[in-house]
Amino acid sequence: MTILYAFCAAAIMGAALYMILSRNLVRILLGLALLSTGVNVMLFVAGDFGSRQPPLIRAGEKALGEAADPLAQALILTAIVIGFALTVVLATIVVTGWRSSGSLDARDLDAAEQPDDPEIREPHAD
Amino acid sequence: MFVLLLVALLGSCIVPLSARYVGKGAGFIVALLPFGLAAAFVAYAPVVERGWVRGEGIAWAPSLGLDLTLRLDGFSFLFCLLITGIGGLVAVYAGGYLTDKPRAERSRFFTLILLFMTAMLGTVLADNMLLLIVFWEATSILSFLLIGFDSRSARSRRAAIMALQVTAGGGLALVAAAAMIAQVTGNWSLAAVAGNAPQIVASPYGVPIILCVMIAAFTKSAQFPFHFWLPNAMQAPTPASAFLHSATMVKLGIYLLARFEPVIAATWWGRTTLITVACVTMAVASVQALRAESFKSALAYSTMASLGILVLLVGLDGPAATVAMIGFLLAHAIYKAALFFCAGSVLHATGTGTLRSLGGLARKLPMTAIACTGASLSMAGIPPFLGFISKEFLFEAQLESSWELIPLAIAVLVNAVMVGVAGVVTLRPFFLKPVKPVKVEHPESVSLFMPPLLLALAGLTISLDPDWITRVAIRPAVAAVYGRAVPVDVSVWHGWTPMLGLSLIVVAIGAAIVRWWRSIHAFLRDAYLIEEIGLERLWETTVRGLLRVSAAVTGWVEHGDLRRYVVTTAVALVALVLWSLAVAGAAIRWPVVDALRPAEALVALIGVGGAVAAVRARNLLTTMVAVGITGFAVAITFMVNGAPDLAITQFTVEALLVVLLTALLLAVPLDAARSRRPRQRAGDAAIATAFAAVMFVAMVDMTGAGHPTPAADWFGRMSYVAGKGLNVVNVILVDFRGFDTLGETTVIAVAALLGASLLGARKTEPQPRRAVHYSFAAASGPLFWLLIVASVLILWRGHDQPGGGFVGGLVAALAFAVFALARGVRSAETRLRARPTTLVAIGLLLAVLSGLPGMIAGGPFLSQLWWEPPAGVPLPKLGTTIAFDLGVFLVVLGAVLTFLFGLRREGAR
Repeated sequence: MTILYAFCAAAIMGAALYMILSRNLVRILLGLALLSTGVNVMLFVAGDFGSRQPPLIRAGEKALGEAADPLAQALILTAIVIGFALTVVLATIVVTGWRSSGSLDARDLDAAEQPDDPEIREPHAD
Repeated sequence: MFVLLLVALLGSCIVPLSARYVGKGAGFIVALLPFGLAAAFVAYAPVVERGWVRGEGIAWAPSLGLDLTLRLDGFSFLFCLLITGIGGLVAVYAGGYLTDKPRAERSRFFTLILLFMTAMLGTVLADNMLLLIVFWEATSILSFLLIGFDSRSARSRRAAIMALQVTAGGGLALVAAAAMIAQVTGNWSLAAVAGNAPQIVASPYGVPIILCVMIAAFTKSAQFPFHFWLPNAMQAPTPASAFLHSATMVKLGIYLLARFEPVIAATWWGRTTLITVACVTMAVASVQALRAESFKSALAYSTMASLGILVLLVGLDGPAATVAMIGFLLAHAIYKAALFFCAGSVLHATGTGTLRSLGGLARKLPMTAIACTGASLSMAGIPPFLGFISKEFLFEAQLESSWELIPLAIAVLVNAVMVGVAGVVTLRPFFLKPVKPVKVEHPESVSLFMPPLLLALAGLTISLDPDWITRVAIRPAVAAVYGRAVPVDVSVWHGWTPMLGLSLIVVAIGAAIVRWWRSIHAFLRDAYLIEEIGLERLWETTVRGLLRVSAAVTGWVEHGDLRRYVVTTAVALVALVLWSLAVAGAAIRWPVVDALRPAEALVALIGVGGAVAAVRARNLLTTMVAVGITGFAVAITFMVNGAPDLAITQFTVEALLVVLLTALLLAVPLDAARSRRPRQRAGDAAIATAFAAVMFVAMVDMTGAGHPTPAADWFGRMSYVAGKGLNVVNVILVDFRGFDTLGETTVIAVAALLGASLLGARKTEPQPRRAVHYSFAAASGPLFWLLIVASVLILWRGHDQPGGGFVGGLVAALAFAVFALARGVRSAETRLRARPTTLVAIGLLLAVLSGLPGMIAGGPFLSQLWWEPPAGVPLPKLGTTIAFDLGVFLVVLGAVLTFLFGLRREGAR
């Protein structure tokens, strides 16, 4: 089962990378969302995978008994939320970029790297 | 001395502000600071006079060898007097010189000049070499700012950049030298260098150290072949030229060489190098001084020649050379600053600086003419001026030292040229008849003629009554440089000596130069002097070439193609993992093979299927749904493997993503045409497969490594005992790793701000209401409240049961998402009542505040406190974690709503 999960995580990440390598910004965005899902599964597999009990201390007890790895879960929980925020921020950038340039192609997003653009050139050049 | 430096620094920032309110007298007010400092330094005279050294030190960063150690000896003292004294005169002069400039400009100039003065004082007082370097570079930077003061002129900017490149480059050499010295001796003290000279020379770093010190000194003091920046630096306003480029900063190189003389002298080639460089510089500078067309550049080249003489004197051996060096340093600073002031006055008065077109100004600028005559007589070495005495010293030093006659011959010629230049710059503008009448626009004012007049007078009084200055400055300075006390006899008449004979020869040749200056000048101008032009060109070509190479490299590395960046990263990652596997040579560890559970395996495979479908789909909506399938499959996987917290979070996130991303997809075309050529796609597929394979191998190895997880065990044992919570995941988040969570919450808050600024700025017109099935519209109200109640429950019970702030916030956001879908964004916003970013701000504040009670109770920030009701009382336990989790809840809710409202509105446009 562990190996199967490892395979699934790797496959999801590979598919995500293929999508990120595309030039369509929405596909890149969805690829990143997929990548963060894959990475979360990887973290989950890398944690203690021995037990399927949730890491909740049973009422009346003082310490956690046999349970899944709480540390990995805490890590993944924030990773999910941060990954979600990242996806949403990217979506915002894509939609504002689409509104201003009318393009979803990553190749058109190079204004900052065109030093010949008169708007970027130093204003006092003579 | 620390106090004085601090006063200088603060004063530099504050005093010049007065120039914004005071018009004419601003220079006098500003000059109070340098003059006050000069008076404060004079108070140290009794210490210095006795040959004592005053040191002060504070440990700053001892582990780096960086300490604030200052050291005042005779040599530093002489410099301090020059810097503050001439600094004050420069301030007065600048007040009269910059009358054309607006007040803000004048104030800026004063600030820069005073800051420069502070940096100079720091450089000559610093004992720790790192501290010295800090001040040294500060003088370079301030020199850059002053040369380029007229920043609208392209020539000024070019000159400023050239000066910065050369002198700051030399500063880097000094850094290298200091580091190597510390490596050899383990000591960063400049004063200790002399004592460690044999050790330094004997070490393998000996030669590089001396070369680096020489480069630093030669660049700063404009010695061949780094001299070309100085004449260009005359683009600076004249007061700055007088201060930086003749009296003080350019002498820092001499200061450094004098401090390192014991080290340089300990090698067989050190003195020879110094003398050779000095002679070449003197020769080049003399020729150029006669070629120079303008008043200022004639002075600049003569300054270069004088610096050459100073380097020569450092290079010569014997006590007389040291006496001559100190004497000339003082004399030159005084007369050259005065001459620059006069040049500035002429420039200011007539608007022209070309020597040939000036003349007859003595009648219009009488006081300036007197000052210029006095200073020129000192420069020419005519008795009884100070310059005469220093020239006698110079010749004495050369006759006494063990060197051949060539340096002496060059020194005689150079001095003759100096006589010539002194004669020309005085006679031509002031006393000879002009070619055509010169118009005077600004008459001389007190602040313009007083500083040069005072300096010219000083040149006379010092030589006639040399007692005080010899006692407090010259003799201690000589002793500090030479290493022991040397008798110094400063007087005009030494009797009939060979030096007097040489002086007479010099004056005779100089007079001839003055007589035939016109033809010499014309002859030299016609001669094409390749070396000067060549070096400057070579430098500029080199710099331009460097820029071109750098632009090419940047263009190659930073090509702007996102896809190629990702390819590079992915390929590098795969290659690194494979390389480390190959190097380590370790076999992959396999995990214990556990039983395959068919239902769960199917769920996981559905997740993979979603991913594959996402890759294959050409329609973006399909792709999004496919990605969502993977997300839900992963959520189920979490749930069945003992991670309910993760499962709820993932479910909520997936649901929200659908709402948010459909808003995006409404705005953009759904059809994603293929953006890659078939070969690129094949290559990408290969890279992605290799990446997946490497990740798979890595994961298998990680899981096979067994699970030594003391951290997880510790959290499991301590969660209830120390954190009072049964849900270990939540206790880790809000308590044990609370600071991390606060950081992540901040990230989300910042993302919300970004979203608000990108999406919220535009005004939107009222949207037409979209038709929604009435059952959805009717159900949305109760559903909203159901979700809100659920979210609060999830938040509240999170400490003991699955749940918490993150999930709670997401579920609450889901409630608003449902409402917005059913009844429009506007009604959802109305229902929220506050702006989403306000929620974010309150949440973040709450999370931060929740960490304070623990701090007050004596623990570190974010130590959570708990109150448990006594047994039998039906109250829940209360803790600061609730406030913390509520903060997280609000931040997440506010952030998601910022994007939700903004994106939905943007999508509907």
